[in-house]
Amino acid sequence: MPEEMSKLEIRSALPKCARLDSKPHLFCPGCGHPEVLKALGFAVDELGLQRRIAFGVDIGCSLLAWDFFDFDTVETHHGRTVPVMVGLRLGNPEAIAVAYVGDGGAYAIGAGHLLNAAIRNDNILTIVVNNGLYAMTGGQEAPTTHPGWKVKTAPYGADQYYIKAPEIIRNVNPAAFVARGITSRQPELRQLMKDALQHINGNHGFAFLEVLSQCPLNWKTMDSAEATFRVLEQEHAKLFPTGRF
Amino acid sequence: MADTYNIIISGEGGQGVLSIAEIIAQAAWLQGKQAVCVPYFSTEKRGGISMAFAQISDRPIAFPKFRQADLWVALSERAVTRLESYLKAGTTVIVNSHLVKDLSKLESWQPRIIDATKIAKEQLHKPRTFNMVILGAMLNFVPGISKEGFAAALDKQFADKYARDPELKKLNQQAFEIGYELIKK
Amino acid sequence: MSEKNFLMGNEVLGRAARAAQADAMYGYPITPASEIMHFWAGEAGSEAGHDQGLVFQQAEDEIGAGFMLIGGVLAGRRAFTATAGPGHVLMQDAFAMAEAMRLPVVAYIMQRGGPSTSTVIYSQQEVTLACFGGNGNGFRIVYAPSTLQELFDYGLKVFNTAWKYRFPTFLLGDGYLAKMLGEVELYDPAERGLEIVPTEPYLLEKKRGIDLKNVIPSPELEVRYSDGVEYACLRNCLNMEEETLTVNQEIKAAWDKMAKEVVEHEYVGQSAAKTVVVAQGIVAAAARQAVQEASGSVGLFRPITLNPFPVEALRRSVAGAERIIIAESAYNQLGRMVKDALYGQVQVPITEYYRPSMSILPEEIAELIKDNVAV
Repeated sequence: MPEEMSKLEIRSALPKCARLDSKPHLFCPGCGHPEVLKALGFAVDELGLQRRIAFGVDIGCSLLAWDFFDFDTVETHHGRTVPVMVGLRLGNPEAIAVAYVGDGGAYAIGAGHLLNAAIRNDNILTIVVNNGLYAMTGGQEAPTTHPGWKVKTAPYGADQYYIKAPEIIRNVNPAAFVARGITSRQPELRQLMKDALQHINGNHGFAFLEVLSQCPLNWKTMDSAEATFRVLEQEHAKLFPTGRF
Repeated sequence: MADTYNIIISGEGGQGVLSIAEIIAQAAWLQGKQAVCVPYFSTEKRGGISMAFAQISDRPIAFPKFRQADLWVALSERAVTRLESYLKAGTTVIVNSHLVKDLSKLESWQPRIIDATKIAKEQLHKPRTFNMVILGAMLNFVPGISKEGFAAALDKQFADKYARDPELKKLNQQAFEIGYELIKK
Repeated sequence: MSEKNFLMGNEVLGRAARAAQADAMYGYPITPASEIMHFWAGEAGSEAGHDQGLVFQQAEDEIGAGFMLIGGVLAGRRAFTATAGPGHVLMQDAFAMAEAMRLPVVAYIMQRGGPSTSTVIYSQQEVTLACFGGNGNGFRIVYAPSTLQELFDYGLKVFNTAWKYRFPTFLLGDGYLAKMLGEVELYDPAERGLEIVPTEPYLLEKKRGIDLKNVIPSPELEVRYSDGVEYACLRNCLNMEEETLTVNQEIKAAWDKMAKEVVEHEYVGQSAAKTVVVAQGIVAAAARQAVQEASGSVGLFRPITLNPFPVEALRRSVAGAERIIIAESAYNQLGRMVKDALYGQVQVPITEYYRPSMSILPEEIAELIKDNVAV
């Protein structure tokens, strides 16, 4: 964050519902999370939902989002944000319940919760940030790790299997909102966020949005924004096609 | 303890062991007794040995299990091998002879024999009256419950079912009468 | 209207939750506790339940049920769950979060055989788990009822304790109490002058009666205002050891204040008895009968709250004892708590009668009192 940047300039770059005095945020330089969160925030602003949002954040890098917004927010346990939001929404039908989870939390430790929330068509929005690995704990293999990627727990290269979650969710729930966006295409991502929020605001049931995101630290592309962008657009988006499902 | 009447019913899963215990315990309670019953349930609902404990007393009952039975009802062969340890000198033993063929182990208790399966099927043409035949037989021994009182208790316990199916009341009455008469003390 | 009924323990608990004005249940099937959920599913789906907005959700597992329960409490629901054995193990994940943030989750726990899947019948082997499970210090309130009637009385009470003091609060029963049928008197708490402690949302509540600062440890809470609206941010992931120490110290201070008001016990028999039996739950019911029928100087001490444990009352009760008998259907779970409470206080022999997953009958306690049992 350049020192000469004023609070006013920061404000204008951020959604109105973002909290100013927790910025600069705690994510690494170049991280995709703030891009995902900003897209969510702008969508919330546009729809005027700020006061009704119950924002659940998972453990992993997503926990750093706990003070990103002026939302009623709760940090849960690793993988358990979906059931907390499910229970909360059942208890308060006025709530716009949003679970913010990483790919480890959603697809590994919390996979059972996610899948069953989709099967039950629970009226919550689940946003999953997919960066292809466990970032907070030091770059271990995730269900989204690309075949051949060398990560801490697959030092000789990850195996050929990985999860395509939106495709699965669509299979178990034909009525759900299901999409995959990417941080590098913000207007599209913001529209997906809006549509997903509208889906639950209209009580249409489960909304699921996976967002392809970058992790320069664990991708070891910290020195080059171009390299980060190349992995994101040419490797990540190739393995995980974006769009609506 | 000593002034409590202890009943064990045992049989195959699905034979209605627990309902027999529940009906007798609740009937006693409806007649002003203290009563408690508990299933000794296994993980499988069907295919395993099922048993239930019931106690009837004039005062509150502290613990739902006991060491030895005053009345022991065996509805199947496997139930016999499993439950001998609950017998004492003087335990009244009732066996459903349709399924319990080998009585050699029970000789010293002079078991009362009733083919409730056959009676229910052939005499009453409703296999589900099996429980009532057994309950009728038990009524001869359980203290504090008269036959009339038992019938009145059934009216309360089965009020909903009887309202839907008035025939059932007649059938149940018939079934426990047969059981009662066959095993008279 | 109070009335006597002939009911199964699990249904008694379902009715206790209703009488306590509970309005949400999240659960997962497990023997011997499932009928509590069956009862609630029937209530929530009925016309009356629908009109009253009762919530019921069967979860994908006990981890999910535990965290849904947290969500329900955050929404301000008088919410509960029911579980046993391996399900109780899984729920410790959520209970640890509830303990950290002092969320008043309520659970009816009906102990079954253990360890592992074991029998579905009975034991007292979840005492340590209920009181001290999780990666914390055991800041959860645990009541141990001993009779069907107490299932109702304490099944009601747990909700008030949970919401008044804002700690996770459990009723620790067992498979016998869960599955046995017997006489119970049901009543409307208002008739007995029992007030229902109000609930309040943690999230999305814009007019607070209770300041969250008074119930959530300070490092875990940030409240801020934007355009005149209050936003509450709750966390349990902390950055510094000092913050974690503060969280634990604040919980401990609230716990100590609560404990004096909540701790409960029962003493039966001769005061300053020479032989004191210590038992809990349904074994205490057996012991009560044995003590009442025993001749000589005998008493029963029964902790009603296993946590907080009635330490002072126990010390007073054994002051004249020449012998203490601990009986439980577990190895050394109640025993450990008793000995911890009595360390350095008494110089008398302790007979430890441990029968994991087995019933302990009044006759057995009577024999222990007569001192003719090889332990």
